[in-house]
Amino acid sequence: MGHEAVRQPGAEVHRVGNAAVAAEPPLLNVQGLSIRFDGAPKGVNVVDDVSFSVRKGKTLCIVGESGCGKSVTSLALMGLLPTPPARIVAGSATFDGQDLLTLTERERADLRGDRMAMIFQEPMTSLNPAFTIGDQIAEGIVRHRKVSKAEAMERALDMLKKVRIPAPEKRLRAYPHEMSGGMRQRVMIAMALANDPELLIADEPTTALDVTIQAQILTLIQRLQEETGTAMILITHDLGVVAEVADEVAVMYAGHVVESGPVEAIFEDPQHPYTIGLMGSVPSLGRRQGRLATIRGTVPPAELMPKGCRFTPRCPFSDARCGNELPPLGEIRPGHLARCWYAPLEQKRGAAA
Amino acid sequence: MSMMATTGDIILEGVDLKKHFGSGGLLSSPTIVRAVDGVSLDIRRGETFAIVGESGCGKSTLGRLLLRLIEPTDGDVRYEGRSILKLSKGELRRLRRELQIIFQDPYASLNPRMNVGDIIAEPIWLHNLASGSAKRDRVADLMRTVGLLPTHADRYPHEFSGGQRQRIGIARALAGDPKLIVGDEPVSALDVSIQAQIINLLEDLKDRFGLTLVIVAHDLAVIRHMSDRVAVMYLGEIMELSETDALFDNPLHPYTQALLAAIPIPSPKNRQPKVLLQGDVPSPAAPPSGCRFHTRCPHARPVCKEQHPALEAAPDGRRVACHFWREIQGAGAGSISAPPPSAALAKRLALYQTWRERQDKPVATSP
Repeated sequence: MGHEAVRQPGAEVHRVGNAAVAAEPPLLNVQGLSIRFDGAPKGVNVVDDVSFSVRKGKTLCIVGESGCGKSVTSLALMGLLPTPPARIVAGSATFDGQDLLTLTERERADLRGDRMAMIFQEPMTSLNPAFTIGDQIAEGIVRHRKVSKAEAMERALDMLKKVRIPAPEKRLRAYPHEMSGGMRQRVMIAMALANDPELLIADEPTTALDVTIQAQILTLIQRLQEETGTAMILITHDLGVVAEVADEVAVMYAGHVVESGPVEAIFEDPQHPYTIGLMGSVPSLGRRQGRLATIRGTVPPAELMPKGCRFTPRCPFSDARCGNELPPLGEIRPGHLARCWYAPLEQKRGAAA
Repeated sequence: MSMMATTGDIILEGVDLKKHFGSGGLLSSPTIVRAVDGVSLDIRRGETFAIVGESGCGKSTLGRLLLRLIEPTDGDVRYEGRSILKLSKGELRRLRRELQIIFQDPYASLNPRMNVGDIIAEPIWLHNLASGSAKRDRVADLMRTVGLLPTHADRYPHEFSGGQRQRIGIARALAGDPKLIVGDEPVSALDVSIQAQIINLLEDLKDRFGLTLVIVAHDLAVIRHMSDRVAVMYLGEIMELSETDALFDNPLHPYTQALLAAIPIPSPKNRQPKVLLQGDVPSPAAPPSGCRFHTRCPHARPVCKEQHPALEAAPDGRRVACHFWREIQGAGAGSISAPPPSAALAKRLALYQTWRERQDKPVATSP
């Protein structure tokens, strides 16, 4: 594995970072996770040496563009990645003291939908069109709790009230197609939270929704999170959403975490050229500031992926070293890490070269 | 951008446009969806005009009506002062050349069996603009213009990424020397970094070829960045029409206020609880009586349910369809207060831009 050689310095830095910010151990601690798809070129993992952690009641946002590995990572944590083609080749994911990656399929299934739950982007494709909303919420409750079907339905009704669906008694007997996109997403949330999970993974939960509905859903998720103390991993490409809900942020690019830290640090003091380019690419909501900054080109295909920093071909600051040697996730400040040889940029790239 | 817009010179005009879709089947009673219901607007030569709204508001239908890609149920569209609804075949063909469209999903709008060179050459051939080697030169020229390599002319759409496909769609739209291009959600399917590239490209092309752009979109940040004027639609009607900065600084209509309030602000500094719009958009098949927004409006009063508000004139050439906009305006709700980037971010963005320009230079001079 290509990453083995460079993993050591990175891992050391994580320990320093985590010790500084968290007194109690995190609920979920992912270290050096690498996932490979069969048939991918040698040494190119779709997710490579990814580390992050989530504390109780807190929200971690994983930001990145299509193909950066954010969804693959979350599916791996939920045990939903099919092997083959996907193989977890390195790393650990400790959830409340247990390594998720070593569990049997049965133990996984017991955890999933109970202590860990997931919300997907497109609620219509994640709901079964042939069953009523009530049946689908109750199914998960019956699977994990020793309750009768009637009690489970009672709980399902409570959940619909909790996610503020109007006329919940009626909706319990409705089918998914009878509801709007926003309502379906509320049902998904009700389903995910039915067993009071400790960790909720939300993969682009509002991307398919209109902006006013998105605001409703985000507010709802936050309110429920405050009520229940659930930890959340929110996966998104929308920096605005990140700024509104995140406590911690991990920015991913082409399978690597390129920068991570508290949300204020990421937005106020971004370090990695990709994070900076991404922020420059988003039009501001204030008065026009001239042309947008752009990131050149596109993500290279796997067979052309550089050995070192994967952002090299698109990075304005890169040189020959970047493409050959993978920089470690170095610590800029306690808890704020960036995977760049030249961070902080104004010191190492400030003088007009 | 806004310097370009010269007031008074109207290139395209919609007059009381209506588009009603559908009817019942054999056994069901007819349901009519009023996708666009009485919309009038003027698009000025050289400006970027944005049509914004949530799904189902009729913004895409309006964009297609303006190009006569679909026939209106009622009303008129005038291009350079002439109705485009009663054109002869030859005139319509010329119109098709001058008014173009770019779609949201470039893949679905490109023929997968044609190579990119042929896709771009099709309008040139169709309108007899060039042939033989002149046509090939023109295709190569267009590909360079939109940032594609002319050597890729023999490749097929599936060999390109989403952003590159959107560039192909833009090259084809440019092939007939258009005067006006409608972009129907031209960047919403793209990743943020690619989206910025396409936005810059569209702006460059607009300047270079003196185009008028009509952007149909739901992303308010993109609209604020690109457009000179904005029409906000809700359930088939225009709720507010205004210069872009005025609209964002001081939204008059309660729906505009709600839309702006819902945008997530990309700064974690001043998070504050939001005043949220309740409920969903009602079905356009059965729009509410009176003001269509009254069912969700925080300021609604009995009269809103009874009387349909006209799109009345407000100061600075703005127009707003609300009975109570004067009083609501005083409430000062909804204006966006996006904090400026932090000093560290601003400094690094500037540094990034400097290095980014240096990165582009060798590319620009290479053949």
